[in-house]
Amino acid sequence: MVSSSVSNKRYTYIHESESKSTREAIDIHHVIINGGRATSYARRRGIGFFLVLLASSMYFFLGKENPVKTLSWGCLLSGLLVMLQSRKFVKKESVIIMPTFGIQLETQYLSGKTVSRFIPIGKILKPVLVECVTPITCYWSLSLFLRGEEQLTLVFKELRPPLKMLVPIWKALCAAIGTDHQSETIVEEEHDVSS
Amino acid sequence: MAEPPKLRVLMVSDFFFPNFGGVENHIYYLSQCLLKLGHKVVVMTHAYGNRSGVRYMTGGLKVYYVPWRPFVMQTTFPTVYGTLPIVRTILRREKITVVHGHQAFSTLCHEALMHARTMGYKVVFTDHSLYGFADVGSIHMNKVLQFSLADIDQAICVSHTSKENTVLRSGLSPAKVFMIPNAVDTAMFKPASVRPSTDIITIVVISRLVYRKGADLLVEVIPEVCRLYPNVRFVVGGDGPKHVRLEEMREKHSLQDRVEMLGAVPHSRVRSVLVTGHIFLNSSLTEAFCIAILEAASCGLLTVSTRVGGVPEACPLHGSQVLPDDMVVLAEPDPDDMVRAIEKAISILPSINPEEMHNRMKKLYSWQDVAKRTEIVYDRALKCSNRSLLERLSRFLSCGAWAGKLFCMVMILDYLLWQLLQLLQPDEDIEEAPDIRLCHHRGVEVSEGLKEEDKVRNG
Repeated sequence: MVSSSVSNKRYTYIHESESKSTREAIDIHHVIINGGRATSYARRRGIGFFLVLLASSMYFFLGKENPVKTLSWGCLLSGLLVMLQSRKFVKKESVIIMPTFGIQLETQYLSGKTVSRFIPIGKILKPVLVECVTPITCYWSLSLFLRGEEQLTLVFKELRPPLKMLVPIWKALCAAIGTDHQSETIVEEEHDVSS
Repeated sequence: MAEPPKLRVLMVSDFFFPNFGGVENHIYYLSQCLLKLGHKVVVMTHAYGNRSGVRYMTGGLKVYYVPWRPFVMQTTFPTVYGTLPIVRTILRREKITVVHGHQAFSTLCHEALMHARTMGYKVVFTDHSLYGFADVGSIHMNKVLQFSLADIDQAICVSHTSKENTVLRSGLSPAKVFMIPNAVDTAMFKPASVRPSTDIITIVVISRLVYRKGADLLVEVIPEVCRLYPNVRFVVGGDGPKHVRLEEMREKHSLQDRVEMLGAVPHSRVRSVLVTGHIFLNSSLTEAFCIAILEAASCGLLTVSTRVGGVPEACPLHGSQVLPDDMVVLAEPDPDDMVRAIEKAISILPSINPEEMHNRMKKLYSWQDVAKRTEIVYDRALKCSNRSLLERLSRFLSCGAWAGKLFCMVMILDYLLWQLLQLLQPDEDIEEAPDIRLCHHRGVEVSEGLKEEDKVRNG
């Protein structure tokens, strides 16, 4: 297994592949949120839990006077909210490409839960790199055109890795589904892409 | 390997394709010609219905349809600071050097120009319309314009009349304002291969049927001309609130067979309507430049127009009016004078040669010329010195006793918000978008600029 990686401030991209890349080799691409962010999410979860504990203790031990009551309710609710949010914190998203079979998209959360989706190779029409514009920002995303579905399917649902991490995954997907992307003449030019 | 683009221009306006109009066409044609000159052009506008996100048009023109909701007459809802994040992102992504805003009525344009100035970019503004000074709406509009233009580097107007109007409304120094007239796409507006017979003279009118475009004048002029000349018929294209008045006029004078109402004519069909006629009638009450008469002249039609705004002024290109004397007959915006002008036009009609008119128009007006002159304006703007925040604030103070101070507060807040955004998302975090160029000699292919070795590092 040969692995290569690229990282920036926020994300780390790891590519695991067979050392001799044959057409049937399984290709795995991971995008991991960098350590700092992951532990900050864990820290927030800890704070949430602490707030819930504080709220319940305030309520029971300091009596039921009104200001204390509202304060403890406030702590309880915000604590619960933070804990609920932390279930959505993503640790890693992966794309496992199995040529002639399909691709598996996996999302691994901090809580340990993993959500995966398998897409058979026949269902994929084309992988595309799209620029998404929101009222506040603009970012690149890798999406799939699927047969019979009107909407594009995002490969990375929660994370927003930069373009330089998305391009090798896109190329690998094109190769796997047999699109001759060379006909699109990707010419590498002397162009500095800031990391 | 292709050379890197010399200038990177961001055109900002609320008005762009799929909307059709003078401003939209201007931005599109100017962008296409600038692309041919080797510059990079990106357009930013608001989303039109489902059309939201990034689209590529002919020649590799990149258009950002930003999902901000339009509220009145296709202008974005003004939030003053709401567009700061997306404008900053687009400016950094595309490595823009000059920001070019269009049309005073576009709120997106004013906001983008304000944010671009705060971030230190060079800014150019083009005004396409004439506005009044008297009514409440105009007074407020002019104050906003004064604020917007207090700090720009250069401005462009489409006629001398428009330049006077803009300078008076905004208090801008005339030395900063350039005059670059609009042009017409002569390749699209060609005369008919077979000229329609002059037994029946057809007068074509294509305009929005609104007060501003003189629809009321038409209601008076058409019955009179039909009475005087039995062999004249009218073709009226366009739609608007005054449509009802024209229908009533048709009924009253029983002109159903002599006046044909076409309804709204899509821009792609304008030429096919124009070539069915001999004379083009423009009855606008106010007009900064009037591309419609250029389009008509390019199709070989003799033009009758009201002498208003930028239509009759001296144009430095050829030292005469917007159109030379033998291509246009001018009249005051008064029904009797217009009828006289139409009589004169009918009398000189036999001596008109449509092909010759078209060839003269080709030489007089071209978008390539407009693009080259605009390039000069951009170069001048880039040479303007960078000003610090304090110097810029002093310009706003001269806008008025209360207004000046208000404008200063607005700019200071904008500056602080920008600094906050830089803390939350530093400039380095905004990824630069690769330049995607279309290789013409091999059809539609895409060359992406990314270094192979930067992508994967063996671990």
